[in-house]
Amino acid sequence: MDEHTEWLRQIDAESDGELTLVEQAALARHLAGCTHCSGARASHLELRVALAQSAGAPQARLAPRPVIRARTVARWAVFALLAGVVAGWGLHAGWGGPGGGALEDVRAVIVVR
Amino acid sequence: MRSSSFASLAVPATLLLGVAAIQAPQHRLTYRVEVLRATGAGRQSLAAGEVSGSVETGLRLSLRSDSTEVEALFAVFSETDTATLTAEFFSRRRVGRSRRGLPLWEQDGYTRIVQVAWGDTARVYPLGPPRRGAQDSIWVDLTVLRRPAGGEVRPAETLSLGTGPFEVALEAVVRPRRGVVVLTLVRGGAVSAPRRYDLIPDGAAKRVQLPVPGRLPRVLDVALSRPETPRSARDRTLALEADAVCLRVAEPDSLAPTGTVCGRLNNVARRLPLSGGDTLIATFAWPGAR
Repeated sequence: MDEHTEWLRQIDAESDGELTLVEQAALARHLAGCTHCSGARASHLELRVALAQSAGAPQARLAPRPVIRARTVARWAVFALLAGVVAGWGLHAGWGGPGGGALEDVRAVIVVR
Repeated sequence: MRSSSFASLAVPATLLLGVAAIQAPQHRLTYRVEVLRATGAGRQSLAAGEVSGSVETGLRLSLRSDSTEVEALFAVFSETDTATLTAEFFSRRRVGRSRRGLPLWEQDGYTRIVQVAWGDTARVYPLGPPRRGAQDSIWVDLTVLRRPAGGEVRPAETLSLGTGPFEVALEAVVRPRRGVVVLTLVRGGAVSAPRRYDLIPDGAAKRVQLPVPGRLPRVLDVALSRPETPRSARDRTLALEADAVCLRVAEPDSLAPTGTVCGRLNNVARRLPLSGGDTLIATFAWPGAR
């Protein structure tokens, strides 16, 4: 593992707020003298900004983690239910079944006038 | 004492009733049928016809389309001023397709009984009662009439067909009281002259002699019987075996029949192999017109 790989891991941890002050100081000293790692840090931060903007929180201090919203879950559940009903209806129409409605509705009747 | 005096009165009363029944005027029963369809555009007659015959005559009516088949056997039980109309229905409806693409059918059998006065028109909705507000419906107007026969009780059918989505058929259903059997015996290259016998179904056996030219005649006991009840529910419901009979053939004084041949009264010759290399050819027919 080369030296830059370890510093890139430190950059990642810094973005997540996981470095101690000593580690942050060491990283700052390295970045002051390493154009490769400082460029990588800038790219890393830009990527996090883009993620925060897409999540609707451009002012966030940290990159938001993906959150499953209740509304989204409900939307998917309704969609799956409707798809099931439509598919079931199609299969029933195509492959038959026991027949719908009351039996007497389709049986003959005799009315004397 | 009391019971013997009752018995002495009951016997002549029974005889009188029997004589009255024999002397009662024969009636001819007529089913007048019209199959109608109502649509938003108006009313259309799909078929009209008539089936008539003796009072035991039934009416077999069928309506068929690509997805529905309704068949019914109507019968009338006469009373003084009214009649009981019974209808045995057998219906099939296509309800879809199987996974192999073959049509799936739902079949049903049931009975309807109504009381009608002679000359009344009964309206039969073969596909079920029309739904409220539905513009399209189909029904059968069935009028039951009873008139003096004047000696003519042979069944008759008439049917005129219109155009429509249903194939309509009417048929008179009569169980024969008697049947004509024409028997011929084949022995080698010789054939006996046809012999005609008038037999009663389920009656006593009759001994017949079939002379073959130049040979000894063959003596057989023959009896007419009704065929066994069909195993198929449809055939049973619609009495499709009504005009079929079976001829049981036995050697003289033998308990077990040598053979049985069954068929409809339709003048088709049927062969029955006998012992000794003989073949009996039997033809069933309706008795002559009265």
